[in-house]
Amino acid sequence: MTLIHMNIIMAFSMSLVGLLMYRSHLMSALLCLEGMMLSLFVLAALTILNSHFTLANMMPIILLVFAACEAAIGLALLVTISNTYGTDYVQNLNLLQC
Amino acid sequence: MNLFTSFALLTLLILTTPIVMSTTSIHKNNKYQSYVKNIVFCAFITSLIPAMVYLHTNQEALISNWHWITIQTLKLTLSFKMDYFSLMFMPVSLFITWSIMEFSMWYMHSDPYINQFFKYLLLFLITMLILVTANNLFQLFIGWEGVGIMSFLLIGWWFGRTDANTAALQAILYNRIGDIGLLASMAWFLSNMNTWDLQQIFMLNQNSPNFPLMGLVLAAAGKSAQFGLHPWLPSAMEGPTPVSALLHSSTMVVAGIFLLVRFYPLMENNKFIQTTTLCLGAITTLFTAICALTQNDIKKIIAFSTSSQLGLMMVTIGLNQPYLAFLHICTHAFFKAMLFLCSGSIIHNLNNEQDIRKMGGLFKALPFTTTALIIGCLALTGMPFLTGFYSKDPIIETATSSYTNAWALLLTLTATSLTAIYSTRIIFFTLLGQPRFPPSTTINENNPLLINPIKRLLIGSIFAGFILSNSIPPMNTPLMTMPLHLKLTALAMTTLGFILAFEINTHTQNLKHTYPSNFSKFSTLLGYFPTIMHRLPPHLDLLMSQKLATSLLDLTWLETILPKTTALIQLKASTLTSNQQGLIKLYFLSFLITIILSMILFNYPE
Repeated sequence: MTLIHMNIIMAFSMSLVGLLMYRSHLMSALLCLEGMMLSLFVLAALTILNSHFTLANMMPIILLVFAACEAAIGLALLVTISNTYGTDYVQNLNLLQC
Repeated sequence: MNLFTSFALLTLLILTTPIVMSTTSIHKNNKYQSYVKNIVFCAFITSLIPAMVYLHTNQEALISNWHWITIQTLKLTLSFKMDYFSLMFMPVSLFITWSIMEFSMWYMHSDPYINQFFKYLLLFLITMLILVTANNLFQLFIGWEGVGIMSFLLIGWWFGRTDANTAALQAILYNRIGDIGLLASMAWFLSNMNTWDLQQIFMLNQNSPNFPLMGLVLAAAGKSAQFGLHPWLPSAMEGPTPVSALLHSSTMVVAGIFLLVRFYPLMENNKFIQTTTLCLGAITTLFTAICALTQNDIKKIIAFSTSSQLGLMMVTIGLNQPYLAFLHICTHAFFKAMLFLCSGSIIHNLNNEQDIRKMGGLFKALPFTTTALIIGCLALTGMPFLTGFYSKDPIIETATSSYTNAWALLLTLTATSLTAIYSTRIIFFTLLGQPRFPPSTTINENNPLLINPIKRLLIGSIFAGFILSNSIPPMNTPLMTMPLHLKLTALAMTTLGFILAFEINTHTQNLKHTYPSNFSKFSTLLGYFPTIMHRLPPHLDLLMSQKLATSLLDLTWLETILPKTTALIQLKASTLTSNQQGLIKLYFLSFLITIILSMILFNYPE
């Protein structure tokens, strides 16, 4: 079981590194975010099913729902940026510069 | 066991026969008019029998036929109340309707839809009688709405004319406002006394309640054109003259007063309602008399005269004299209908000319109409021992010698003299002097269909007051003694009015003002009431509703409050508090380094 834990935690940290260190496209950050959510979901579902922790059975599902909403918002932001600049390069996001 | 109840029901049944026959062939040809007229005459005769029985033996009856429905504890039946009021009113109204139908055979002769006209008049009569004989408020409401609908259909008879449609709609709207009061009263009676039957309401009356009586006063104000809800009555003169004679002088507009008269057991203990009706009636009678002074349309003058007399009836109710008000209803019907028929004769003979400034010199040209008009005006002003005297004079006497509101009394007395003034105006402008109409019209009143109704109503205008007041049973002790100056008040005010009016009217032959004074403008424009009330409140209401719906609901609550405000706050806050460049990749890299560093630090503490 711990092997599986390590596997998924490695997937999670891979997505985390991918989220925090990306090159130019905002899209890759969003994808890594999705990957993090997915790995969290799998980790939670496996652990809860393994320990028969019935009370927490709905936690992964709720997590998934919120992840879907968040993905929608992220995509909306992406579309707005793309509408303004034509691309989704992050070096364009410099409006807060003073 | 006599024929009382059967003849009362027979009267109502006879009147429904022509309506049923409207699907057969008689409705298609010319004989329908005489048929309807004769039916109304038969109904008049059969309604005389219960009236005579009542006068002879003081027998009242309550006819309760058909149990319609019982809704939990409310039992609704078809019940007719044959008491003093309905038994006296039925013959009077049937007599007048008979005369008006004969007149409209002459007046509406050239109308292609004359059969439909007669059917409408008959339907109106039936609903009015339903209203008058109703024993429960539901049946009364049926009659109430029925007369409202028929009034709409008949005012808008010439519906190709915009003014007629506007007037019909105006009548409906003002009557609706009054109906709110009636419905509120019905709801109150239902929830507090568990009934709509008049008997039970009068029995269960402990302490006269304000709310339902105010509702009834509102209903009466709407139907009987009291001040505030009065503009529909002069506008209703757009309808044909028989309609004005029947509905808006003798029958429909007294429905409101009749309602208050029916509820007199509730009103006789409630001082507040009496004061309300007194003041409302006094304002109405004076205001409409002022408006009648400078009108130029003969039908509008008579309409305002009707409104003034309705205000007088309201004053009588406010003086706690319901029987006197009812007597005035009956006597007023005679001479007012006759005045309308005379004006119809004049209008038709002058080729549809209604402006009194273009009439004149009809004294010799229409002698019979002249006679009737003069007698009608004299009866209206309360000339001693004509019809109006037997009801109007007791009203003024009661008003002057009762412990009442002196201001209301003064208004009523002023309106009495104004009555004489505008009556003189009618007589002066239409009958006296030189003719002011084009001479190419053929003036001919020699038609029995015209002469006979006016003749009958003329005899009624002269003798009906005497006959009625000597036949009716006395219901309360009449006032026997009063100082001489109070007794002669009404006569003095009327004579004063006549003298003033004659003087001023002869002045118009010689002296003409170049511009109208402010008082004249006030009177001609009906006190500015329609000008203000028909434009300002609708405009304000529509403006407010538009502002509420668009600006408040859509723009504010749905858009601005959360979404736009949040965006605005965020923008302002971030421009205020941030001093950063947009180096996102570096920031994310710093997050990563922080996370790795903290994981190392907290896992390997040594």
